[in-house]
Amino acid sequence: MTIDGWFIASIVVGMASTIICFVAAVMKKKPNDLTLISLAVVEIFIIVYAVASLIRVLAGANINGEPWEFWGYILTAALLPVGGFYWAMTERTFWSNYVMGAVGVTVVVMMARMAQIWYGVSTAAQPLQLGIGS
Amino acid sequence: MKNNSTTAAPSSPAGRTTGAGRLLITVYGIFAISATARAGYQIATHFTDAPVAYLLSAFAAVVYIAATVSLAKPGQKWAIAAAVAICIELVGVLVVGSLSLFDQQAFPHATVWSMFGRGYGFIPLLLPIIGLWWLYRHRERANR
Repeated sequence: MTIDGWFIASIVVGMASTIICFVAAVMKKKPNDLTLISLAVVEIFIIVYAVASLIRVLAGANINGEPWEFWGYILTAALLPVGGFYWAMTERTFWSNYVMGAVGVTVVVMMARMAQIWYGVSTAAQPLQLGIGS
Repeated sequence: MKNNSTTAAPSSPAGRTTGAGRLLITVYGIFAISATARAGYQIATHFTDAPVAYLLSAFAAVVYIAATVSLAKPGQKWAIAAAVAICIELVGVLVVGSLSLFDQQAFPHATVWSMFGRGYGFIPLLLPIIGLWWLYRHRERANR
């Protein structure tokens, strides 16, 4: 798959959030400013990516895969931090940080799939191959 | 365990839907969403390519949704429902995983459970084992 700047940025932002949240959880801390901000940064990143993708498409860029699949992924990814935040806050223990940490890494996986759709490397029958560049 | 039988409410043993259980529900929820989206996409776009594989994807999605909901609900009946759903999930990942390994002609098209969920970091294989262990740890007391 093609690795572009967006995907690299998502790895930095998503994994940073996951690591921050997991470290806080291991330290038995409840969600604090740091972990909540890291989750918010993930959400902001997705929104920026969505807006930038929209601008790129309007400027004439072509999504090689199914456009509605791409936008479906963006919408789902944008809802993940919101859902994670809600689920983490309804019972606020150190486990909430693990819940929030699960969001970042999931977004990275989804960004990998979005990159596949955008650059058109994959077919739908191809499994999402984590760690195996194809 | 400070939950005594004096509380008349038919509550589940403390903890099944709290603490680490919420993380388990989170992971199941993520798989429910992704499996549903994937099956929906496969069936909507090229169902005729591999109807069996894609119906299997849809079945997996239903199992994940059932497991997520029943894990999140308190009470013994939901615990049993969760155990049933997770057992089906475990059988599914073992059968489909084995078939995709030994009889690749049978499953040329990928599902969540193909190759024991290798495409998803083997989480589909680990998740039911962890889920059943969690339910066992938080099972309802037999005496009542």
